[in-house]
Amino acid sequence: MLGRRGNHQTPFYDRIPLPTVGVILTVLCAGAVVMVLPFLWMVSSACKPPAEINRLPVTWAPQNVSCAENLQALYATSPHFTRYMLNTAFMTIGRTLGQLVTCSLAAYGFARFRFPGSNLIFAVLLGLLMVPFQAIVIPEYLLIRGLGWLDLFAAIIVPGTFSAFALFLLRQSFKQIPLELEEAAEIDGANPLQILWRIVLPLSTPALAAFAVITVQAAWNDFLWPLVVTTSAETRVVTVGIALLQGQRNTPWNLLMIGSLLATLPMLVMFALLQRYFIEGISMSGLKG
Amino acid sequence: MLPNTLGLLFFFGIPVLVAFYTSFQEWNAIQPPVFVGAANFERLVRDDAFWNALKNTVVLAVMSVPVGMALSLSVALLLNQRLPARNLLRTAYFLPVVTSIVAASIVWTWIFQPRYGLLGNLLAPLGLRDVNWLTRPDLILYPVAVVTIWLRLGFDMVLFLAGLQAIPRELYEAALIDGANRFQRFWHVTWPLLSPTTLLVMVLSIISAFQIFDQVYVMTSRTVRGGVGGSATTLALFLYMRAFTNSEFGYASAVALVLFLIILGITVFQLIVQRRWVFYQSEGE
Amino acid sequence: MSRTARSIALLTVLVSLLVLAIPAQAQEMEEEAIAPAPCAEPGTLTMWVWDEAWAEIIGNAIEDWKANYCPGAEVNLEVQPWGQYWDLLKTNAASGDLPDVFNMSQTNVFFYLDNGALMNLQPYWDEYGVDTTIWGTGLVDPYRWGEDNDLYAGPVNWDTIAVYYNKDMFDAAGLEYPTADWTWDDFAAAAEALTTDTIYGAAVYLEYQAGYPNWIAATGTTPIIEAGRTACTLTEPGSVEALSFLKGLLDAGYMPTPSIMGGASADDAFNFWASEQVAMITGGSWKLTDALNNVAFNWDVVQLPRHPETGRSRSILHAVGYVASARTAQPDLAANLILYLVSDAGQTFFAEGGNVAPANPSPALQQMWIDAFGDTNVNIQTFVDATVDSQGVTVFDEIWDRINSELVLNIFDLGVSVEEETQAACEFIAPYVVAEE
Repeated sequence: MLGRRGNHQTPFYDRIPLPTVGVILTVLCAGAVVMVLPFLWMVSSACKPPAEINRLPVTWAPQNVSCAENLQALYATSPHFTRYMLNTAFMTIGRTLGQLVTCSLAAYGFARFRFPGSNLIFAVLLGLLMVPFQAIVIPEYLLIRGLGWLDLFAAIIVPGTFSAFALFLLRQSFKQIPLELEEAAEIDGANPLQILWRIVLPLSTPALAAFAVITVQAAWNDFLWPLVVTTSAETRVVTVGIALLQGQRNTPWNLLMIGSLLATLPMLVMFALLQRYFIEGISMSGLKG
Repeated sequence: MLPNTLGLLFFFGIPVLVAFYTSFQEWNAIQPPVFVGAANFERLVRDDAFWNALKNTVVLAVMSVPVGMALSLSVALLLNQRLPARNLLRTAYFLPVVTSIVAASIVWTWIFQPRYGLLGNLLAPLGLRDVNWLTRPDLILYPVAVVTIWLRLGFDMVLFLAGLQAIPRELYEAALIDGANRFQRFWHVTWPLLSPTTLLVMVLSIISAFQIFDQVYVMTSRTVRGGVGGSATTLALFLYMRAFTNSEFGYASAVALVLFLIILGITVFQLIVQRRWVFYQSEGE
Repeated sequence: MSRTARSIALLTVLVSLLVLAIPAQAQEMEEEAIAPAPCAEPGTLTMWVWDEAWAEIIGNAIEDWKANYCPGAEVNLEVQPWGQYWDLLKTNAASGDLPDVFNMSQTNVFFYLDNGALMNLQPYWDEYGVDTTIWGTGLVDPYRWGEDNDLYAGPVNWDTIAVYYNKDMFDAAGLEYPTADWTWDDFAAAAEALTTDTIYGAAVYLEYQAGYPNWIAATGTTPIIEAGRTACTLTEPGSVEALSFLKGLLDAGYMPTPSIMGGASADDAFNFWASEQVAMITGGSWKLTDALNNVAFNWDVVQLPRHPETGRSRSILHAVGYVASARTAQPDLAANLILYLVSDAGQTFFAEGGNVAPANPSPALQQMWIDAFGDTNVNIQTFVDATVDSQGVTVFDEIWDRINSELVLNIFDLGVSVEEETQAACEFIAPYVVAEE
């Protein structure tokens, strides 16, 4: 439904001469190699027996392919791994939906309404994004402990619902939308909430997609905070589960890599699904008329 | 607007205030805290290690932010064209964001390793095969800057792609009718209309550059944390080590406060200067 | 009362004599170094460990404790990742709730002792009749504190260091395998003979525990800092001699730099060795399982070479400890659990599991640990022998990075001279040295 009513059309594309395409592709592919090398190593190591992983010089193709053995060993060492993944998924969804609601409302407010001190409040909120988390982890822990939320999903989801990043991203995007569209809706008698829901959000699809990609990814990979506030397998997340594999004296690389790979796959699927929202340009014509 | 503001203030404002108060105390996490006035700040001014960490942080920001933004914008512009394998390439550039940082550190360590490493062997004709990139205090910030750019590129690319999509196609069509060439179209249409996103990316990149922690932590985990002689120690790592290694939580909070003020200053400056170059469609043609 | 005590003492002597008289085989079966005791009143304890593998072993031991010694007790065993364990411990300490019982290391214990965060276990050792001198000095001395040298921890395990060597490379070079009486000179000669265009002879200096401090200890000098933090020892002749000896092997091209190995940790040396790039490395007993499972060539371990003049081969020894929080609501129960975990019964779980060598010195347990590796061609006894003349850990968290890797990198990677670097390291350590009283 969202944003699918003719206001999105094929975007504007240049006609690029073929040789230029070749040059661009070559440059992009060369860059892409560096971007994907670590990922490729992670994939290949997930399928190597331990002896092969630390070989010097670095080897790329596994000689004895042992993905299944590693997977088995992962579950033998970390029987709750699936549970960790589900916990991560649950908390990621909770945080993302929460942010979507609270941050889009706030961002719309900051983008459209001027009131005394609004800029100051916005700067302070942005400022909170700037405090290094290492500096506030202890007071934050004491706060959550005081609320009695230790080892509860709420300890991760509720604070994770408020984000200065999402606020900033969405505010910038909302400010991009020409006012006349909203003014027209206002004349039709729509209230600000309806305008946000019917006009502003649909027009912000690419920004919302970027918001989703980044927020989901950040929530999914969050490590330090979930570690501090959870202690049981029922609440622990997959990043903590992977960290638990690494002992003081031994680093089971095969398990770390297959665990990391499993934890990464949902993110790749998410990116692939959301990608299409980056290939649609918006057109104002459908609404202006 | 209210719930988000109040939530942010409650869940982050209170801890920040507590940390602010702690910066005037001496506290090792076990003994009761002692109020020491401005002693932590006086110490900080005289602490060479602090100035060194500040210098490293600024150098890293200068090395990584402009290059990182230029690269991510270029990649976003190119991957916004109709190209074969475009989705595949976009995914490739996004991969660092989801790659396990531990796996990444292994590969990057190998890339910079003398004798066996990828870089050394590429530079071998120049006689640069056996350079100790990761231990030499005069070189280590280069690998850290490279990894910083690598880590952030996919993230900024996503923001730029979203920003590019928000530019109405009519404007390009109009420019084409006016006979604008590709460069003119970029300069008169893309660049101004992308400016809100550029501001967003710039503010976020600088904030994250001043908080660089993970990449230094893993890139130096196999040598010495923060580099030999603190040569790669950033402010965020410095305050973390003061707090959790030396149990000087008061001093660490003072460092955090200074770091916060620096970033706040830079950000407020950017938000003020934005009026000169950022163009919002809702605020006029 | 005193008569009873005397008769018990007499009985003990008689029993010991009897034990000594019976054949060795039977002796190992009967001698119990530390016996568990029933607990007075059960309750619930929270316990922290940092390793999944240990958590499983300790979990099984706790089940035994609950079933046979302390019915009704409950233990919430929580595993924290090793990489963040100490940060989490401080976060919890800051909020005033340390776990009742938790794992401690010799490098971190000083901070908690210094701030009165740990419960004194000495009254319990006395009450339970545990002779704390049965544990070697390297095992428990770092856990002693206060005027009476009270023991604040129950030791879990020990780790010692030996030389891992590639037998195939010795064969190829036409060298005899090293024996326990070899000296630094023999070692240097072997390193030279083993070095080829593609293979390094040795890599034996990396890190505090597996590296250069073992060589300093062999000269008779305490590595880095005297026990009780009374003086930095790096500038003493023994330290300079050991570091210069190792630097000489590096300069001659028999050893690789840390950069070439990809890192300055003992694991980097081990991986380099397992990749057949180097013939000899120093490594801990904790690497046995990894080596047995993952190394393709023929290999063995041998005691660290002896210093030519002192004739000593001295291994750094580290023992993880169990400690209790000073603020635990159940001090008696916490002490009872620790007593069980260090007793013969509790330590059997570690010995049988292999990998982790039990701190409890009972010969039966030590043999059980060796046997747990199964049928190997590796002289595992070497590590047990190394506990005899061993050196406990004297360093602590605030100087750890400096002496564990920065000193190594400066000398062996960046070309700083031994004299200059040891001087600089001692200057760094100076603020932490406490004046002798």
